[in-house]
Amino acid sequence: MVYMRDMGEAAQSRILGQELPDYGVTECRAGPPLSQRRIAIVTTSGLHKRADKSFSLGAGEYRIIPDDADANDLIMSHISSNFDRTGFQQDLNVVFPIERLRELAADVTIGSIASYHYAFMGATPPDAHQAVARDIAKLFMKDKVDGVVLAGV
Amino acid sequence: MSGLAHFIERQGIPTVVVSLIREHTVRMRPPRALHVPFQFGRPFGVPGAPDFQRRVLTAALRLLERCDGPLLEDFPEPAPEALEGASDDQQGWACPVNFSGPTFDPSSPEAYRQRLVQEILLLRPWCEESVRRQKGRRLDGLTSLSPEQIADHLVSYLHDQRIPSFVTGEPMARAIKLCADDLKHFYYQAALARPGRATGIAVDNWFFGDTAAGKLHIDLRKQLKTMDDPALRRVGEMNLVPHPMRHHVTE
Repeated sequence: MVYMRDMGEAAQSRILGQELPDYGVTECRAGPPLSQRRIAIVTTSGLHKRADKSFSLGAGEYRIIPDDADANDLIMSHISSNFDRTGFQQDLNVVFPIERLRELAADVTIGSIASYHYAFMGATPPDAHQAVARDIAKLFMKDKVDGVVLAGV
Repeated sequence: MSGLAHFIERQGIPTVVVSLIREHTVRMRPPRALHVPFQFGRPFGVPGAPDFQRRVLTAALRLLERCDGPLLEDFPEPAPEALEGASDDQQGWACPVNFSGPTFDPSSPEAYRQRLVQEILLLRPWCEESVRRQKGRRLDGLTSLSPEQIADHLVSYLHDQRIPSFVTGEPMARAIKLCADDLKHFYYQAALARPGRATGIAVDNWFFGDTAAGKLHIDLRKQLKTMDDPALRRVGEMNLVPHPMRHHVTE
């Protein structure tokens, strides 16, 4: 298994001691009940459509995953070799739970699903994402998204 | 991930992070986070377990309704072992193809290529079966090269580092990484053809311990670590052989 404990002491200490920026405290924005929210997924798994350019190290770029993207067309070009890919290889929902989101929309646990989701590649300094995150927030607003689930790998 | 949550929330959109490294989340203080005690690479738990995945996703979504952040909750359930796959001793999973056979001379590019092509030939029907079982889903495609072409290019590079990049528009470090991953994805797709659940560690041990393609990854790592170009060195040091598989490496 690829748990933190499997990484070896040196790697563990490198991961845990990683320099991280301090963004302080961000005030939580309120919203309607979950059953009325429009939800998007942001993944940092380096997921993208087959025809898209693969992710480049440190570029802070993103790829768009339309809600109706063909799951068979999504591949992963994350540079790191230090996380399990067999889960994703057997079931896309392990990293990008789009089918689960559809089920939650169908039973009205959530209101609706965003038209577009976004993918980044982790292993990128957080500051590199700042400008594009603002762009994406504007796109979310246009799409009336009021809830974003962000998941790393 | 937590940085993105800060940036997006500051623009007015509520966010929740599903976190695999609790210590990072504690330090980064995103507005809302759910820590999940799962393997790296599996933020929503286990493959083929929709009920469990739905519980994880719902637990994260419920946090969106709270505004008392920065808040960090712990998902209470570990990934169910029965669903996660066989235990680490590889019980319950075996590669459909047995590669035990006469050893080959890795210093000979021809012998290396021949062994790789033989493996690819044996795995191809299983890869196609896996694609069929996954309703057409293919895992490779980072490059437009076939597994045989990739094997040929990577062996050529291993024996002569002066050759030009074999992926259009990509520098050599990136070309090697994309090709190595694509070749690995072909092998993993074939390995996952068998019914039943496979653990990452079992498939990784098979790939890096038993196959010529895994050996190629290990040999490339060794070569790249000696290069002057920092991008090549980085791929060698960090991106070809996962930490838990370093016991297959003999320096």
